[in-house]
Amino acid sequence: MKHLMNLTIKRIIMYAGLVLVCSIPAYYFVISLIWEFEMNEHNIILTEEAARHDRYVIILAVTTLTTLFFVFLLGGFILLNRSISRRLWQPFYESLDKIRNFDLTSGQQVIFDQTNISEFAELNISLEKLISGNISVYNQQKEFADNASHELQTPLAIIQSKLELLQQNVSLTDEQYNNIEDALHALSRVSRINKNLLMLAKIENSQYLEKERIDFSAFLQDAVILFKNYSDNKKIELQLNIIHEKIVEGNKILIEILINNLITNAIRHSGKHKKIIIKLTNDQLVIKNEGISSLHPGQLFRRFATASSGDSGTGLGLALAKQISARYNWKPGYHFEKGFHVFSIEF
Amino acid sequence: MKILIVEDEKELAESIGAYLSDEDYLCEFAYTYNDALEKIELYQYDCILLDIMLPGGNGIKILEELKSLKKHEGVIIISAKNSLEDKIKGLQIGADDYLSKPFHLSELAARVYSVIRRKNFNNLNIIEQNELMIDLFGKTVLVNNQEILLTKKEFDLLLYFISNKNKVISKSALAQHISGDIADMFDNYDFIYAHIKNLKKKLSDAGYGNYLKTLYGTGYKWDI
Repeated sequence: MKHLMNLTIKRIIMYAGLVLVCSIPAYYFVISLIWEFEMNEHNIILTEEAARHDRYVIILAVTTLTTLFFVFLLGGFILLNRSISRRLWQPFYESLDKIRNFDLTSGQQVIFDQTNISEFAELNISLEKLISGNISVYNQQKEFADNASHELQTPLAIIQSKLELLQQNVSLTDEQYNNIEDALHALSRVSRINKNLLMLAKIENSQYLEKERIDFSAFLQDAVILFKNYSDNKKIELQLNIIHEKIVEGNKILIEILINNLITNAIRHSGKHKKIIIKLTNDQLVIKNEGISSLHPGQLFRRFATASSGDSGTGLGLALAKQISARYNWKPGYHFEKGFHVFSIEF
Repeated sequence: MKILIVEDEKELAESIGAYLSDEDYLCEFAYTYNDALEKIELYQYDCILLDIMLPGGNGIKILEELKSLKKHEGVIIISAKNSLEDKIKGLQIGADDYLSKPFHLSELAARVYSVIRRKNFNNLNIIEQNELMIDLFGKTVLVNNQEILLTKKEFDLLLYFISNKNKVISKSALAQHISGDIADMFDNYDFIYAHIKNLKKKLSDAGYGNYLKTLYGTGYKWDI
């Protein structure tokens, strides 16, 4: 195991030493060359003028040599630094890449490659710890949602049955009956939220994996007929533009939920006598309903982001739609255009 | 008619029993797996309401046991586990219907009624009530021997009322019966009103007494 610092310094010192070692014979050779040349030229008679001349020659030679070795040293450092950096940071970039591709919802632990650089090894170990901690917290949370909604189911059923039994009481006043009815309404909303939470947990737990070829167009048509009671009730004008036999691979139940939730959303948030446009092409499904101003696109598909006490929604419909789209790598989108809320799913 | 309610939640079992018990139905209870096994071996029922998750065992096993005993009781699974696998498995083994919790008691009553009729359809496929006669098999309705034409939804509603006679039924239960889970998504049940109005008119035009009453403004009762 090596330290990051030591690894660079070691190489640089080694290279500098090498240059130094090479420079010693070079200096020796050049100086002795000058020495020999001067000896021959002046026949060992060292005049004052000759000595001054020699000094100049030696200074020149030494300067040249030093500059040359300096250039060697510098050039070498630069090259060395580059190649070392590239190799040195390689494990770092690999780890970075793995983190970038990490998906918490898949529950897959990230396995980092072995590295012999201690800093990176430590980083990888810490990351592994962090990620596995996150995964287990996420799983616990998922399990909690799953178990909680499951456990709620029975008491909800009991409350509902008791209230309905109470409604059978012959001596009820109108007010009492309607109070019970209101309680039942609220209860049905709780049940629905609960059901949707369970459904989300199930999708996240990778249930409903079985796939089949599905005629999306037919499913959409059926849904429109199913919802007719409700759209007619609001006197909504439905404008359909659905291509035939758009085939997708997917799970029947999930596709049904996706379509139902999007249509429900459009009908619920439409006023009377408004228009809803449903368009299916080969590439995308678009559902538009009339509106006044844009909603927050970032918030829309999040759980409970849009639920308000005023509407009967669960605040989970679009979150479910998003989750289902993600399962099939479809892209859900929202934008506001010419007085219409436009929800789309790109296949 | 004898009904066995196999349900470990006593409160829920009691509610179901209280709602169903009248001059037509007699309810018995089994709160555990072994209890239920003992009862089905000893007695004969017309309909069994079966919870899947029971202390001591799985309700599906009870269903298998019933089949191996060659008993022909109608079975309705009532489960908190709204899972498709359970539903398919239950129906494959021989359950007649599946209802996931929570449910409307009136919906359960309608299912029980329908299962019992189906099981014994030899003698029960004609329902007669005063001047009304319904042929379940041919899906025809006669008032004073004169046929009246109902839409499928009106026919469904009529059966729903008859299977819940003398009970107050809320609009939301009716809406859910007519359009399933979708009804849940909206708070508006106005369309039910139109169907009921039409049904009432058709029946009274043919001379059938005013048995379908509106109560408290939002509830209905088939008063017989």
